[in-house]
Amino acid sequence: MKFKDYYEILGVPRSATQDDVKHAYRKLARKYHPDVSKDPDAELRFKELGEAYAVLKDPEKRAAYDQMGSQWKTGQDFQPPPGWDAGFEFSGGDFGAGPGGDHSDFFEALFGRHVGGGQRAHQHAQGRDHHAKVLIDLADAYHGARRGISLRMPMLDAQGRVAMQERTLEVSIPKGVHGGQHLRLAGQGAPGLGGGPAGDLYLEIAFKPDPQFRADGRDVYVDLPLAPWEAALGASVAAPTPEGPVQLTIPSGSVAGRQLRLKGRGIPGTPPGDLYVMLSIALPPADSEAAREAYQAMAKAFDFDARAQGKG
Amino acid sequence: MNQTSLTLLQGVVVEEEIHLTLVELCQACSAEEEHVTAWVFEGVLEPVGESPQDWRFGGESLRRARLALRLSRDLEINPPGVALALDLLDEIAALRAQLQRAGVR
Repeated sequence: MKFKDYYEILGVPRSATQDDVKHAYRKLARKYHPDVSKDPDAELRFKELGEAYAVLKDPEKRAAYDQMGSQWKTGQDFQPPPGWDAGFEFSGGDFGAGPGGDHSDFFEALFGRHVGGGQRAHQHAQGRDHHAKVLIDLADAYHGARRGISLRMPMLDAQGRVAMQERTLEVSIPKGVHGGQHLRLAGQGAPGLGGGPAGDLYLEIAFKPDPQFRADGRDVYVDLPLAPWEAALGASVAAPTPEGPVQLTIPSGSVAGRQLRLKGRGIPGTPPGDLYVMLSIALPPADSEAAREAYQAMAKAFDFDARAQGKG
Repeated sequence: MNQTSLTLLQGVVVEEEIHLTLVELCQACSAEEEHVTAWVFEGVLEPVGESPQDWRFGGESLRRARLALRLSRDLEINPPGVALALDLLDEIAALRAQLQRAGVR
């Protein structure tokens, strides 16, 4: 087990007042909240902050933690000394009040495990609803699909300990579903209490990143590079769509940034989305004598100032 | 680790096929009625119907209510603050979508 320096995590000295601790936590929590931050480590950092704050905001836990001394550094191998918490009485059983309630081994070794929480045990109650995220391919939204989804869920075993239970669900992904939507699977949440009905499972749909296509709601976007002469003179070119390439007529005088809309070729539905082909222009390199001559001929043929617009 | 067996499950798309009552929405996101009511008052959620008993929330409310719950719990933001944060997050999401459509990653 590795030692965690909760003061370092919150960026406060060991002498910090309770107000300093709260202030530092609030500031960092806003910065690393996973709903707000784009930092790839945000979720991890936020969890760590919650854990550090759960200990340092509570004078009892903070005193117990301080008692271990200041010689420890983050990442050092650590075992709590036997009887380290003797003489401390923690009021209230719930250590999991921090965000998530899901703490490191280090925290659990010191302060014990937070079990369950949340819903009080009614005699007869519906189980809690669960939420999970699933990544699907864009093609799944066009055609519908069956997908095996693995979920891990903490469950209490017969001895009242928390054990991870893994279950695999075979889910039918309906045609036309798109990113940000939720699928509700009735009765697949937590079991009910005292014979009450089970909760539901909500799956939030997101698309796997695709090298070619970008989806926004039901609309789909794709880039199509053109040679300068195809854009200027018009052409018929093969354009990729999620359902396979189509032959597309490029109007003469097309410019970079122009969008061609293929109505109804987005994600299916009522109404279906559209596919937008975003035109760009790729310049051929002047890497041979013939190519250089062609560019020189163009320079002579056109009375063209590329910067004329900027001059107004 | 225990394994359980497979059955093919059919889901319904919440955003398109479902309207939730106040009680159902609270159950779906483990929020308290008092909080949801405060968010409705601040315009975070916009149900149809006059009184709380008649409220029907569209499926999109589920995402917003869960986000509101996380922000208010984790950052101790009050309902007007949650409303402001959600408005700003919506605006950022719209701008990001614009960038993405233009091919900026």
